[in-house]
Amino acid sequence: MDQVIQTFIIGLSNGLIFALVALGYTLVYGIIELINFAHGDLFMIGSMMAFFLISIFFKLTPDTAPITLVAVILVVIAAVMLATALINVTIERVAYRPLRNAPKLAPLISAIGMSFVLQNIANLLAGPANKSIDNLFPTTNLLSAFGITTVAITFQQAFVAIVTIPLLIALTWFVDRTKQGRAMRATAQDPDTAGLMGVDVNRTIALTFLIGGALAGAAGVVQILYNNVTVYNLGFRFGLNAFTSAVLGGIGNLSGAVVGALVLGQINAFSDRYLSANWTNAIVFAVLIGVLVFKPTGILGQQLADRA
Amino acid sequence: MTTVTVKDQDPYGHGIGGWLSHVGAVLADLPTTYRRELTLHRRRTISLTVLVILLVTYPILNSAFLAGFSRTVFPLPLPDDTVVTFMMIFGIMAIGLNIVAGFAGLLDLGYVAFYALGAYTAAFLASSHWGSISIVFLANVAPGFPGIHLPFWIIVPVAILVAGTFGALLGAPTLRLRGDYLAIVTLGFGEIVPVVFRNLADVTFNFSLGPINIAAQHLNLTGGSLGINPIDAPFLPFADITFNASAGYAPVYLGMFLLVIAILFARNLERSRIGRAWMAIREDELAAEMMGVNTIRTKLLAFALGASFAGVAGSLQASYLGATTSDFFTFSTSILVLIMVILGGIGNIWGVLLGAVALTYVDKTFLPYIGQQVQQIAPSFPNPAQFNFLLFGVILVAMMRFRPEGFLPNRQRAAELAGAHTQAEVEAKVDEIVAVDAEAEVEAAIEADPIAALENLGPPPGQAEASGDARAAETIDEAKDL
Repeated sequence: MDQVIQTFIIGLSNGLIFALVALGYTLVYGIIELINFAHGDLFMIGSMMAFFLISIFFKLTPDTAPITLVAVILVVIAAVMLATALINVTIERVAYRPLRNAPKLAPLISAIGMSFVLQNIANLLAGPANKSIDNLFPTTNLLSAFGITTVAITFQQAFVAIVTIPLLIALTWFVDRTKQGRAMRATAQDPDTAGLMGVDVNRTIALTFLIGGALAGAAGVVQILYNNVTVYNLGFRFGLNAFTSAVLGGIGNLSGAVVGALVLGQINAFSDRYLSANWTNAIVFAVLIGVLVFKPTGILGQQLADRA
Repeated sequence: MTTVTVKDQDPYGHGIGGWLSHVGAVLADLPTTYRRELTLHRRRTISLTVLVILLVTYPILNSAFLAGFSRTVFPLPLPDDTVVTFMMIFGIMAIGLNIVAGFAGLLDLGYVAFYALGAYTAAFLASSHWGSISIVFLANVAPGFPGIHLPFWIIVPVAILVAGTFGALLGAPTLRLRGDYLAIVTLGFGEIVPVVFRNLADVTFNFSLGPINIAAQHLNLTGGSLGINPIDAPFLPFADITFNASAGYAPVYLGMFLLVIAILFARNLERSRIGRAWMAIREDELAAEMMGVNTIRTKLLAFALGASFAGVAGSLQASYLGATTSDFFTFSTSILVLIMVILGGIGNIWGVLLGAVALTYVDKTFLPYIGQQVQQIAPSFPNPAQFNFLLFGVILVAMMRFRPEGFLPNRQRAAELAGAHTQAEVEAKVDEIVAVDAEAEVEAAIEADPIAALENLGPPPGQAEASGDARAAETIDEAKDL
């Protein structure tokens, strides 16, 4: 039983990181119906940047004072989020916006091309080897304070939740409560009408990419601090996990993406633990195919079902 | 612009006399029409003949004349026998993917799965992998040699069947999905197949259902990450030729032989009823269905037939290299073939062949050569050969943006890609292109010889209307009004 709970906790932290990336997929798909294939690689770029900032620029070690550690990590998160957001907007400008009126498969192919470009740039600049850092957090079990020793929640796992949950709340608030968020929802529903109502569609789409990129960057930082390793082709596998999450929850639906990510995090964790890590990818793809074939609207998705 | 007025009415009058004058006019036209057709035909025949001669004699030319020529005059390396064989293999793959993506308009991002299935078919049926049994049939090994050893000529049809069956199996539940979802599902399939081949090296299970009990202990089904080797090379019994990697240019001819069959097959498919149904589906699935095309069956056929080409390519690749592992079959291979199709001209067989040859050359000869040169000058500089997919990614993005129809485009496909984003607009765009072409032709003809041009212009209006081709008539009318 303890083992199952432990696996569940691992799955939860996996799922929270997936959620940040999945939101990028679902935001973009919701607004321009593009499977942004390069999004996973943007996440990888984020984790690479975090690696260089943490280990080479700021030279953080497990011995760094906690205050400094927290401050530097906040700076790194902000810097990487900004950078990936800008990269994502640039990609949209260069590779997707000129294709907005092309057949739907053209931007998808362009996105695949972009994915390879990002991957190879990372390979070119950082090299093909795994990039790993030391675990910067104390390794004590947070639950030992409550007298539980058989199940562990580490600082790393808590850190994942501390970063991702506020971001998820902030995003929901932004989309639901602000004027820009309303513009995004309007554009997602019907870009032409939104344009007639005075929404600057190009700007709104750029904003969507900006937000998606920022979330991917945050996920990248969290990823390297949680798993302590990154590599140039991480984005492909991770991106497909996140995309599967978005599809599972109902693509285009924000809360759906989070739910899907949490479910997929568990699928990953339990498959790793009880089957074999070799099979996890195949299982994720099987889930993806199964959802697309049998319930393309996903768990929560309804809105986009009739927009085919 | 010159203003020419013509009678819109039947220029030949009515009745027997009118008909006779019409026939006379057509007959008078015949030499011109014939000559034009002949010129076109002859030009095409000549270029094809030259191409075939070049291809067939390439090995001799390469080893003797061209090698020296290239070193002095044209300082780029020529593809060697391995690369040319891979050009043939990728040519077959590109033609197969072109059936799926070009003819039927279904984006398949997991095409490599069928390539893997073909390769593993060859590995299972022509190697010592099943060492505990011995089946030797018409193969180039001694009787009683462990493992199954069937000749390549039997493996190819089996690979076609296996790949085609899996294509249909994948297609059956997924083909009603929309284009981008289908792309992702095929991608998933393309990733699952190599994973399955990699992981089924040590299978232990115990399965009971009522009185039935099936169990296995450490069963090595697929060779795992080491793959399967050696695989028997294709062997031509009477001529005593072995087509393996050390046989020089012999495998090139084997590949060429299979490629020519693939080309003929694909060309005939394109012009058949199925080919027209594919194009109808690609342009407007709903309209095609209304016109009585069984869309699911037709798409399934595209998937299965396209997959079977990859099966052939895979069995040839595995037999030629004599080994296969799951590492050969990655997502990037699927994308490489997709780039060949897009670069050459999606929908056009000659275009995708050009794409396959060009990209294989760049990938396997040009970039390694550049890499070598760079390493000599600056050893610390990154080797371009390792970053081939940086180039290919840029090619994909740039092609989509600047020339989505490829370098040798299929005209109809080009219309669809030229900004015709809703299904309804595709038709309008084709009309537009037809009209523009017709106008351009008319203008050129009018400049050359106004009166003759107008008389030579296609069928007379009356006939065009009679054949129901009102569009052509309108175009011509518009053109005449210029």
